[in-house]
Amino acid sequence: MIDRQIPQERLDFLWLLAYAAALVFILRLVNLQVLGGAHYREIAEKNRTQIIAQAAPRGRIFSSDEVALVTSKPSFSLIYFPGQAKTVPEIDRMARALARPLGADYEALRKSIYKAASREKPVRLAENLPPKIMLALSELKAVYPGVDVIVEARRYYPFGAYLSHLVGYIGKMDPREWASRSKDKNYSMDSRLGKAGLEQMYERELKGKDGGIYLEVDSRGKLNRVLESRKWVPGADIFLTIDSKAQAAAEEGLQKSVSGKGAVVALDPRTGAVLAFVSMPDYDPNMFVLSGAEKEGLAAGKILPEFNVALQGSYPPGSIFKIVTAAAVLESGRVRPDEKFHCPGWYDAGSRVFKCWEKKGHGDVAFVEGLSKSCDVYFYNASQRAGALAIERQARAFRLGQISGIQLPGEKPGNVFGPSLRAARKSYWFIGDTLNQAIGQGETLMTPIQAAGEIAAVANGGIFHRPYYVDRVVKSDGQLFYKGEPRTLSRVELKDGTWELIREGLRSVVLEGTGQAAKIAGAEIYGKTGTAQNPQGKDHAWFVAYATVNNEPAKIAVAVLVEHGEHGASAAVPIAKAVIEAALRAELPSGNKRAADPGPPQGPKLPPPAAVPAGVRGIL
Amino acid sequence: MIFTPQGGLRKGRIDWALFLAALLLLALGTIAIFSSVAVLPGQARIVRVQLIAIPLALIAFGAAWSLNYQVYQDQWKFVYGALLVFLAGVLFLGVVDKGARSWYRLPYFSVQPSEFARVGLILVLANFLDKRIGKIKELQTVLGAFALAVPVFLLLIKQPDFSAILLTFPVVLIMLFASGASLFHLFIILGYAFISALFPILWSIITLTPELLDNTLVSYFFHLSDSWLSASTFMAFVVFGSWLLWRLSVRLYANVSGVYFAGAALVLMLGFFSGILVKNQMKEYQQKRLEVFLSPETDPRGAGYNLLQARIAIGSGGILGRGIFSGTQSRLGFVPERHTDFILAVVGEEMGFWGMLLVTGLYALLMRRIMQGARLARDRFGYLVNCGIFGMFLVYFCINFGMLLGLSPVAGVPLPLVSYGGSNLVATLMALGIAESVYARRYALV
Repeated sequence: MIDRQIPQERLDFLWLLAYAAALVFILRLVNLQVLGGAHYREIAEKNRTQIIAQAAPRGRIFSSDEVALVTSKPSFSLIYFPGQAKTVPEIDRMARALARPLGADYEALRKSIYKAASREKPVRLAENLPPKIMLALSELKAVYPGVDVIVEARRYYPFGAYLSHLVGYIGKMDPREWASRSKDKNYSMDSRLGKAGLEQMYERELKGKDGGIYLEVDSRGKLNRVLESRKWVPGADIFLTIDSKAQAAAEEGLQKSVSGKGAVVALDPRTGAVLAFVSMPDYDPNMFVLSGAEKEGLAAGKILPEFNVALQGSYPPGSIFKIVTAAAVLESGRVRPDEKFHCPGWYDAGSRVFKCWEKKGHGDVAFVEGLSKSCDVYFYNASQRAGALAIERQARAFRLGQISGIQLPGEKPGNVFGPSLRAARKSYWFIGDTLNQAIGQGETLMTPIQAAGEIAAVANGGIFHRPYYVDRVVKSDGQLFYKGEPRTLSRVELKDGTWELIREGLRSVVLEGTGQAAKIAGAEIYGKTGTAQNPQGKDHAWFVAYATVNNEPAKIAVAVLVEHGEHGASAAVPIAKAVIEAALRAELPSGNKRAADPGPPQGPKLPPPAAVPAGVRGIL
Repeated sequence: MIFTPQGGLRKGRIDWALFLAALLLLALGTIAIFSSVAVLPGQARIVRVQLIAIPLALIAFGAAWSLNYQVYQDQWKFVYGALLVFLAGVLFLGVVDKGARSWYRLPYFSVQPSEFARVGLILVLANFLDKRIGKIKELQTVLGAFALAVPVFLLLIKQPDFSAILLTFPVVLIMLFASGASLFHLFIILGYAFISALFPILWSIITLTPELLDNTLVSYFFHLSDSWLSASTFMAFVVFGSWLLWRLSVRLYANVSGVYFAGAALVLMLGFFSGILVKNQMKEYQQKRLEVFLSPETDPRGAGYNLLQARIAIGSGGILGRGIFSGTQSRLGFVPERHTDFILAVVGEEMGFWGMLLVTGLYALLMRRIMQGARLARDRFGYLVNCGIFGMFLVYFCINFGMLLGLSPVAGVPLPLVSYGGSNLVATLMALGIAESVYARRYALV
């Protein structure tokens, strides 16, 4: 080597420098690529994909006779992908062109397009497009790139307000609901959520799994291609114990009643299954699904009648309480069934005179007649013998003051009126209180579902079931997810003779007493009318009844409350009759069938079982 | 190191390892470029330029290899003159692109003279240092080398092309180091450069964290550059402080020459001056890049975006990569400048860790072979030329990798042979040709 007068070790140092640099870079690469690869891969994937969620069709809800009460139907939404019309005048022109067929506000439309463009996120410009404008839109689609129409499943209630208090409704999430679901991948900001009734309680089962269109976009947000179109999984179907015909009869009857307000609850006394459940006023859940102007028009000025009369309406039971009093009287053994009391139309309680509802009086009345004529004076006399405490105990046995346990929120327990209540308040119990208690006035309160439970107990010999209305939940793959089972809560233990006498009394109510309008050929109806005194206006009308056919165990027990109906006989009895007829249509002689078949109030009888297309047909 | 002239490949007229490494890098780079530009609007032009540049570059390589490198030493005045003329000419005849007047427009492509100027300057400096080898330890040598380089820097500033200066300055230092210049002088220069850079960085850090300003000292320091008065008081303080330290060392009988203290004070003052100069000359985007480097999360949608997206691209490649022509980050345009400065992001995303390892390894091999050429060179000029070329690759390698991996600020520095850029490719292969020429002529004149 020639002498270059230069230190060779400096070259080694330089080489060391290069070596060290390479080492540092490799270590950094190991950190980035080998260790952080998955993390960065995820970010990169998020970078390039945008997802348009497609709401899965919620599970359908069927009645026990398999009428689809709640379904989903395809609905078309107009979406806009940002990035293809960038300039302001272009967006303005597009918004103007779209505003006309959509019938939407130009300014609002323009703003949402701007927002989409600045956020680089696709946006729904309009939902539930009517088929009429599809043609106009498909022409515009060709002119303005970025605008597209997709299919989604929309909740649909074919019969409107039918069964609305049980079914509930769905709506957009409020911020709190969103906060608790933001981590759930199945929900997005604009997902809809069950807000009441079944829709709320079975949200998880009904929801299904949303599908989505995964789009690849470039750094400017321009749509590159559709990566994949993930199919939705429909939610589970719910089959109710509700009988569609009985329900329709109840709805129709209550609607046509004098006030149009009240409740009807029909139970199967054998199981506690709910056969009809009406609470009025009701609402049309469809209006929460509709969007935009349509919805505002529907909801304008309306306060949602969410008050569930059947569960939350507490009324004085009036004469239907006499069933309880009768049980107490007979069980006490202090009144013989054939013992007669004279009814002159009034009863002298010493300090005060109590009237019978029949001013003329009923004359000499024994037990069965007292019940069938609903003679107040008979019960005044009998209750004095039996004692207020016995009546109170019997009222508790009939589950007054306790909720029925039906799986619906906000149920009220009613109220038991009796001496122990007074004692608890450190007050006194007077003779007059016993008299009021005996005929179901005073402070006794009862909800329609409790009344239904009471009459069902009479029908089945004292068994109180927990009312249930979901027969089964079936997942979209046909797997049974849940099966509703009867559950016995308690039992009223009365002597057989007592039951016989009460039934005889109830039978004669229909045959010759206050409830003659309930007579149905081919069936034996047992019932009791009632009038709940209402200091604020006209009295409320009650009727509770059950029916047997050919001496088989009763299959239906029904309680009807018509607000301001005045007399149970005129207002409530025909509704109960219609419900019973509809429920027993299969077993009644054919002559009754036509009348007993009012059908669901509107719309198709059986919507096609799969009204929703099986999947998305891509972007149309 | 042991001198081994009889090593297999090294025997011949061409260093095959170097040439093949360069070709492999070029192939890798071309694939990455084609992949990254596949969806770019100017795709056709880029592909065309690359396809023209590759043969041109190979011709330049062949020419430089066959020509005896000693010619450059004989004709150094011509080389120096030509590079100055070309650099000056571009200021008048050049076209403006991205804010810099750096290109000669030719019928099919443009030429960037600064790329060739760097190679020319290496040749000129090698000659100068070779001639001054007897006085290599003297300060005049270092100053002389910089005297040769400064006109080039001034012309580059005029364009302005700061990244070219950023690349050339360390090359000069490496050549001085390799030629055996006094380490003390080099440290002074390094210290000066360090301080010039330190001040703007410190100021940027303070800008980023305003709560530091509550501290009086920090606040005073931050406003130093605002007026000449505070700047001069600071300098007076520096002079006084170093004088005090010197007196102290005398009292302590420490045998330290006063020159060192004077030198330290001078370096500190000069560094401070050029620091102010740099800060005031720095354009807004450069200031931003500095800030983004210091804290990349400040502005993920703005200036930090590029870096972040490049990092995501590399990281998402994982070990095996996403497959050539399948990188979403680069092909969908999330990575900016993906065919030029950020080409490694494409390689990292599509070819993964192994691809990056290959590029790093090939670069190491390339540098190793150039250095081997320096060791084997028949004369000192050849040795210095190869050292300069080695330095050039080292600087490119460090800055480009470092920038991409977030270890150095973003600067518009490509990775030679891999990045797109016709002039850079031709100049790089020309430099490699010269290195090959040094290697080829290690025994005798041809």
